[in-house]
Amino acid sequence: MTYRQARWDEPPIWDLAHAHAPEPAPAIPGVPERFRRREALRWPELSEPTVVRHYTRLSQMNFGIDSGVYPLGSCTMKYNPKLSELLARRPGAAQVHPYQPESTVQGSLEIAWRLERLLARITGFHEVSLQPAAGAHGEYTSLLMVKAHYRELGELERRTEVLLPDTAHGTNPASASMAGFVTREIPSKDGCVDLAALKAALSERTACFMLTNPNTAGLFESEILEISEAVHAAGAMLYYDGANLNAILGVTNPGRMGFDIAHLNLHKTFATPHGGGGPGAGVIGAGELLAPYLPVPRIAKRGRKFHLDYDRPKSIGKVKTAYGNFGLDLRAYAFILAHGEEGLRHVSRRAVLNSNYLAARLGRRLPRPFRPLVKHEFVLSGAPLRERGVRTLDLAKRLLDEGVHAPTVYFPTLVEEALMLELPETESKRELDAFAEAVGRALDDSPEHLKAAPTSCSVGRIDEVRAAREPVLSWKDLRTGASVKVETP
Amino acid sequence: MVRWISDEAGEEEALLQALGIASADELFQDVPKKARLGRLGLGAAKEEAEVVAEVDRLLERNRPLGRFANFLGGRIACPYSPAAVDAIVSRSEFYSAYTPYQPEASQGMLRALFEFQSLWVELSGVDVANASLYDGASAAGEALLFCRRLHEGHRFLVPASLPWEERSVLENYASGPGLKVEAIPFDPRTGLLDLGFVKAALAQQDVFGLLADVPNGFGLLDEQLFELKALLGEVPYVVAADPLSLSVLEPPGAYGADVVVGEGQGFGIPPSFGGPLLGLFACRREHVRQAPGRIVGATVDAYGRPAFTLTLQTREQHIRRSKATSNICTNESLMALAFVVYASVVGPKGLASLQSSLAEKARTLASALGAIEGLRAPRFDAPYLGEFTLELGRGTAAGFLDRLRRRRILAGHPLADPRVGAPSGPERLLVAPSPSVGEKEIARYAAAAKAWAAAPGGR
Repeated sequence: MTYRQARWDEPPIWDLAHAHAPEPAPAIPGVPERFRRREALRWPELSEPTVVRHYTRLSQMNFGIDSGVYPLGSCTMKYNPKLSELLARRPGAAQVHPYQPESTVQGSLEIAWRLERLLARITGFHEVSLQPAAGAHGEYTSLLMVKAHYRELGELERRTEVLLPDTAHGTNPASASMAGFVTREIPSKDGCVDLAALKAALSERTACFMLTNPNTAGLFESEILEISEAVHAAGAMLYYDGANLNAILGVTNPGRMGFDIAHLNLHKTFATPHGGGGPGAGVIGAGELLAPYLPVPRIAKRGRKFHLDYDRPKSIGKVKTAYGNFGLDLRAYAFILAHGEEGLRHVSRRAVLNSNYLAARLGRRLPRPFRPLVKHEFVLSGAPLRERGVRTLDLAKRLLDEGVHAPTVYFPTLVEEALMLELPETESKRELDAFAEAVGRALDDSPEHLKAAPTSCSVGRIDEVRAAREPVLSWKDLRTGASVKVETP
Repeated sequence: MVRWISDEAGEEEALLQALGIASADELFQDVPKKARLGRLGLGAAKEEAEVVAEVDRLLERNRPLGRFANFLGGRIACPYSPAAVDAIVSRSEFYSAYTPYQPEASQGMLRALFEFQSLWVELSGVDVANASLYDGASAAGEALLFCRRLHEGHRFLVPASLPWEERSVLENYASGPGLKVEAIPFDPRTGLLDLGFVKAALAQQDVFGLLADVPNGFGLLDEQLFELKALLGEVPYVVAADPLSLSVLEPPGAYGADVVVGEGQGFGIPPSFGGPLLGLFACRREHVRQAPGRIVGATVDAYGRPAFTLTLQTREQHIRRSKATSNICTNESLMALAFVVYASVVGPKGLASLQSSLAEKARTLASALGAIEGLRAPRFDAPYLGEFTLELGRGTAAGFLDRLRRRRILAGHPLADPRVGAPSGPERLLVAPSPSVGEKEIARYAAAAKAWAAAPGGR
């Protein structure tokens, strides 16, 4: 495929208009003079067409899922249904304030209530809360609930450890440490949790074991029931990181596998757009034991009316203003309705079929570190590239020239020069084949070309070292030449 | 079958054949039998038209803001957003992209985020902004943890007037490392900070940070914010500021704030029943290594041309894991785009004039309500901007709101924490005229409030 991304010489927005002389902001009656802005906001005064053209040009220098395949492992970059965009913009959805009287927001409350129930069935949990804003936020919220539980049992003093496999997403240890726990990594064996090592690490100090299943190597943790038994025997909680739920819809679920609590990323499995980095929605589900600690409010139904219930004495309180990212909850609700039960099963079957097909094809070109049967994603090692003096990073950049996005690279860290790939159910065999051919061309290309890549994007290879050594982080820095060196810790 | 799952002619058969299997079910043999599911009862698939009909039927039970004279505000605003904002945010090159981990393919979003960071730097008056956090409340929570990284201590001071939701979120961010959020009482007449309490607390040497908000939870502008830095000395100073107010108010960086956070939803993001919102965060340059969340930096490409990339990533969870400054990964990039497009379309003069007009509406309504027997408005004797506190001499906030709702007025929202039940004293509401209300709606509000005050028990 020949590919050229747009390359506009578009100036930054502040260069699109003449700067005017700084003047004070208007005085407002009743506002003390001391509070009045002495120099009006420094930002250009532009016409609407100028602004629209500027950001349209920027959009043309950005690669989205509608532009081409996006094989980022663990990110589940699937097509975002246009239907969801339409629905989320209905005035009845968008032009509704969370502080309106409950009688005027019965529709939003009912949609949220129904979505919670659907997700409870999908995950096998007792209760679901839509409040957290993203996956990591859901992790943190869940760990606070675990803490609240142990505080009530009088065990918080001693249950200070969170265990996680060495394949865990970085958010897991970060959330655990934010929640005040000490983290301990459990080594993997053949890409999966080493049950003996886990058992040896579990103790009366363990609060929680955090696990993704299938894990980030794309492997299903087949010993999950034994893991669950061991964790519970130690009196600890089992946490499910739902980032990889797309592989197991209707096949199994965290409740059935013995997990006590979980977060889901609606922007992965349920196709809400990721927005260039966010927003997300980090729904959490909890079994009976932990459900009383869920954040308030809970949505309750009395007769035919829905209301926000704050009478949950064990609740940890709030983690976000208002109740959840409703705009995304609505999109996920539409996604589930459209698929129905059979459709959701088909999602996982096809995602796993795509992944195994592509893994088999690409496995002929690059080593696959673990057992062949994978779930929705798989890992390759770019280590052999080293013999030609190139690295996984060069391959990733070269793939950008093929009109596709690059896979996740250098994760999981237990695989040398790792590439982690996921092409979900919305990708056709034609796209899979074209992607495999693109990888083949990239691998066959000369080391010089690989190192010079990309050449088809709006810019060439970016100097990331300079960005970090001499941080220039705003227009003000550019204007004042303030690239003050920042000490590396 | 759902159209969104790929179903090109015979392709699934070809995939199965290539793998030498008869059914995709064979790919799940590694899932233990005891963990397998039966039916979940999720219902049958629906056609797109049926989904639309079902969702519309449910949304029909909402009464959107357009049906009311709207005086709801607080941290979530109801701005009019020029159509151009949604047109840009709706471009799928932006909304359907992932985090710009491959900067060469993602310059558009990176540049937009760099412009967003630049705008928050200009508005806040501090040096470095990140590329967004979840919402204003969680941004305040991150600011609390940030302060603790800069300074020893266990106590974090916040105004007692802080909205209860924000206080609760802060307590949850503090509870991880076992820190304490402590309320600074307010003067009952003015609603402003009791600086005597702050001085006494600081003298005990255990305060690691203080957050003040502008406008505060009662809608007030507290001039003492200009004196706090001198009192705090080395103790980090956080200001939570409404971005629209900063079009006319002195930037907090100018009076010593070390961190400026805020809720950015008011800039071009519909209220959507409370989310997605937009967390704003900026800090001083010397503290950037302690900042949470993604940051975009300017650099050059291999040909020396200007280029942008995520930078200073060694602070972040995907590299630093348990030692990261925060667990945040997904942020609110698309909302940050809406924020900068909104401000650019409206322009600095437009923002200042919008804020002036909201302030005028608030003054008009407050003085009309203040003239009604049984109501106190504005409740506090202090300057305010676009929102004010209304106190009911008798009756309940719920009753007042319900009566006005029947007159198609969203009259404000109660300040009390619903977990605690009705407060013992008179009930208070925060009232914030939205841009869509004019003289007529203000007069209707005043008339309905007068009728209520005359007979709070009636319908």
